[in-house]
Amino acid sequence: MQMPRSPRSTIVFAIRLLFVVVLVLLFFLPMFWVVMSAFKSETELVQYPPRLFPKLWTLANFVSGLKFGNFGLFFWNSTVVTVTSTIITVIISTMAGYAFAKFDFPGKTVLFMIVMATLMFSLEIIMIPMFLTLKQLGLLNNMWGIIIPPAATPTGIFLIRQHMQTIPDELIESAEIDGAKEGSIFLRIMVPLSVPAISTLAIFSFVWRWNDYLWPFLVINDDSMRTVPLALANFVGQYSVRWGDLLAMTTLSIVPTLIIFLFFQRYFMQGISTTGLKA
Amino acid sequence: MRRRKLSVIPYLYILPVFVIFSLFIIWPAVEGFFQSLYRRGIIVRADIPTLRAHFVGLANYFQLFQDPRFYNALWNTLLYTIFAVPLTIAVSLGVAISLQNKFNGIGIARAFIYWPSMISPIIIGIAWRWIFGYETGILNYLVRLMGGKAVPWLIDATHAFASILLVSVWAQTGFFMVIFIGGLNAIPQVFYEAASIDGANRVQRFFRITLPLLKPTTLLVLVLTTINALKVYQQVVVLTQGGPGRATVFLVQNIYEEAFTRPFGVGYASAQSFVFFLMVLSMSLFQFRLMREER
Repeated sequence: MQMPRSPRSTIVFAIRLLFVVVLVLLFFLPMFWVVMSAFKSETELVQYPPRLFPKLWTLANFVSGLKFGNFGLFFWNSTVVTVTSTIITVIISTMAGYAFAKFDFPGKTVLFMIVMATLMFSLEIIMIPMFLTLKQLGLLNNMWGIIIPPAATPTGIFLIRQHMQTIPDELIESAEIDGAKEGSIFLRIMVPLSVPAISTLAIFSFVWRWNDYLWPFLVINDDSMRTVPLALANFVGQYSVRWGDLLAMTTLSIVPTLIIFLFFQRYFMQGISTTGLKA
Repeated sequence: MRRRKLSVIPYLYILPVFVIFSLFIIWPAVEGFFQSLYRRGIIVRADIPTLRAHFVGLANYFQLFQDPRFYNALWNTLLYTIFAVPLTIAVSLGVAISLQNKFNGIGIARAFIYWPSMISPIIIGIAWRWIFGYETGILNYLVRLMGGKAVPWLIDATHAFASILLVSVWAQTGFFMVIFIGGLNAIPQVFYEAASIDGANRVQRFFRITLPLLKPTTLLVLVLTTINALKVYQQVVVLTQGGPGRATVFLVQNIYEEAFTRPFGVGYASAQSFVFFLMVLSMSLFQFRLMREER
């Protein structure tokens, strides 16, 4: 949009600006309304007419959710699962991405096709046999059951491979001439030069795992092992929903991803437009 | 490409991911197909007659043809897909075009619209259930304020279905907007300039330049939104739990319920999963073909 010059273009400019503002509000207000509601008292939540901002800001819902709803534990569980799984994802995807980018070996094409083909078998499709497999392996109702299986992601391997292919082979060759061992080529050259791709993967992985519902839903039965999305969904399933607590815990649960988003917004937009892939 | 000599090293690098893929994708996928040929429940024990697994060949697949629950879930899923795909494409493309021009604050505007894509479907469900509330929901308050009657957003079958559609489109728009902006930016500006000189108006430029040149991006979005739509489930978990009645039960939920709540359901649910897989597979193959053509 250019700066308006004539009266007519001023009107066009204003209409366009108004349109964009309305658009942004349509996508922003629903979550904002939830967050504002979380700070209202139980009586103000059902008050008529409703107000956008709380008349009296209160943290009562947060306290009661964390204390009586046991959400302190659920947030801890989610943190453990998310962090562990992300670390594993980053390590194994970087290794595999390196092999596919910089080595020539028999079976490489087929193996890479298998990696990409696993994209089709999302959990929704193999849910039932996955449950049986996890049971056979003793991973049901076990934190490792939600950490390990989703840690290998074709998107991650693809992302790292694409990036590492742009690193010139000459760098590796000259390091070899200087007598560098395989391990140090990987750790001292490839990994440091791939930090942007690795960070992108780490951020994506964190968000995927933090938001994950289907895996914990399938694997976890024990109340004390629930992650936040599972606990929240369960909270709604109960007979009468305690909206105050629910909205407060909902608000709290979007804080980590919101912080990540504020800091790494550009990674997300670029990551999506370059790979077009998700989960 | 370096390292032409045969070496075990690259295999060691890919070993961890392949162990996970074998155990948790390839093995279950194969197992799932074989289970679909059996009549069995969750627990199988050879020593208890009622808990034995029987080989039944394709019987589970024939059963699909006369199962009203499966037909209902299949019909709901297809209906949802038919509405969700064009709506998501139209809205995200429209938003992408309106936010394509550079101006102060454009980044912030895009970020606000993208943000819902970063939130768990469960959270989005909770937020909208709060907004859709019949008595105290903010949406019905606004409807009454404008003189309307309270809308049974999640209570009546048709409204519930439409509400889920609305929420899904709302939640996905940001993600596909980013993909569309990428595609739009790849269209060389000279085409537009040349068309303007020739006197083409805004509408003509959209249909004659933007749409044809955006085709690869649009096809990619088409495939991704279709696969997403076929897998619809998590939005429903909080919003309607499949209700009212079975009006919003989709394939994934039906498969889960079949396996875990009905006797001998695992074999039958596996057959449904396989049919479901074939539906997603056809879309994925289409996607791979598109990606290859682009290269």
